[in-house]
Amino acid sequence: MSPEDLIARCQAGDVEAFETLYQQHAARLYTLACRMAGSPEDGEDLLQEIFLQAYRKLGSFKGDSAIGTWLYRLALNHCLDYVRSRQAKMNKLTETLDADTSFQPTARRETPIARLDLERAVERLPEGCREAFVLHDVEGFDHKEVGKLLGIAEGTSKSQVFKARMKLRSLLLGDR
Amino acid sequence: MHPTETAINDYVDGTSDPFERNAVETHLATCEVCRQMVDDLQEIKRVTGTLELREPPVRAWGRIERAIKLEQAEKQGAHPFFGASDWRKKATTPYWLAAAAAVFLAALVGLRYLPGRGPAGNSADGVETSASASRAADAIESELRLAESHYENAIKGLEAAAQSDQDALDPRTAATLQKNLAVIDQAISESRAAMRAQPASEPAKQSLIENFKTKIALLQDTVALINEMRKGNEAGAARIVSGLKQKG
Repeated sequence: MSPEDLIARCQAGDVEAFETLYQQHAARLYTLACRMAGSPEDGEDLLQEIFLQAYRKLGSFKGDSAIGTWLYRLALNHCLDYVRSRQAKMNKLTETLDADTSFQPTARRETPIARLDLERAVERLPEGCREAFVLHDVEGFDHKEVGKLLGIAEGTSKSQVFKARMKLRSLLLGDR
Repeated sequence: MHPTETAINDYVDGTSDPFERNAVETHLATCEVCRQMVDDLQEIKRVTGTLELREPPVRAWGRIERAIKLEQAEKQGAHPFFGASDWRKKATTPYWLAAAAAVFLAALVGLRYLPGRGPAGNSADGVETSASASRAADAIESELRLAESHYENAIKGLEAAAQSDQDALDPRTAATLQKNLAVIDQAISESRAAMRAQPASEPAKQSLIENFKTKIALLQDTVALINEMRKGNEAGAARIVSGLKQKG
């Protein structure tokens, strides 16, 4: 089945075709959702909402971009809405991070950082700097784009990413 | 003097202009503290670039499919899983388990997101009168009882399916499921005892809800496993079994 046929079937409400579309794109969107939300449980909830929204909105997909790009954009917007709403509820800022990000001279690291450890440490980053870090360092947006997506200044994005990296350093390499 | 945060960040990202880069490198040549930090940040950046995609749990598609079918059914006035005409007849098959699990899930997810229940819903000043605490405890107890009733219905359904469909699950998988269920039931029982001792305790409430959620996940995996086996999807079933064993 060609991608066009698949999308046409999805647009006609074919759930089996939609499952195929899900299988093709779920991992990427789930990964984004987990990292933005900071937990696999919330990531799974977000994934469900993203694909439900995609199912409802597929009729408006005109093929101007690849379906993967369209889905990614939809997922990103959904994650950002979630992050904003959670931040508004918790009114939680990351100023407290400052104490953790000071220079810490100690012995040289002996072992390389494991991917799994980094993945877990990213989940433990405070809100605010985690989203900026994920968007910049993982998803590859530049600071200007991150600022726009998160509604913050470009300089704030830089600062949040730096805080996130320093916090990761502290989490992964201990107090040095 | 150490370079600024921005200068270090730009250097790690490779976006410094030549003058800045030169200044940072000159400093790094004599400052072990900054050299160490830059090494660490570069290592974190390098590993970040190698992070892999994460596969969602197998049950995730089942949740989405059920939600889509519910929406479709609401639009068409039909039964969400078995269509308009013959769902009563087909409801005797284990597919109805999906519906039971969905109802159970809805009840407990509702419990999880009730206003004022989670950490975000705590009163700002942390002050509660004993009367309101008592009312809150009564309300929690009542909602937990409601959730428990759905939970028991789902369990009955799973037990019925296991009896009528014994060939669907191999004995080792069934034993793993039973073992996991027993562990979770024990945890639920302990959380419940803690709730009885301290009805207004937020950690006890959260612990009970978390244990319910764990049980939901296991039930969902079980439903997904039975469905995959019915579809003859050995790869899908193997993935679920593997997940169950990891939890066990």
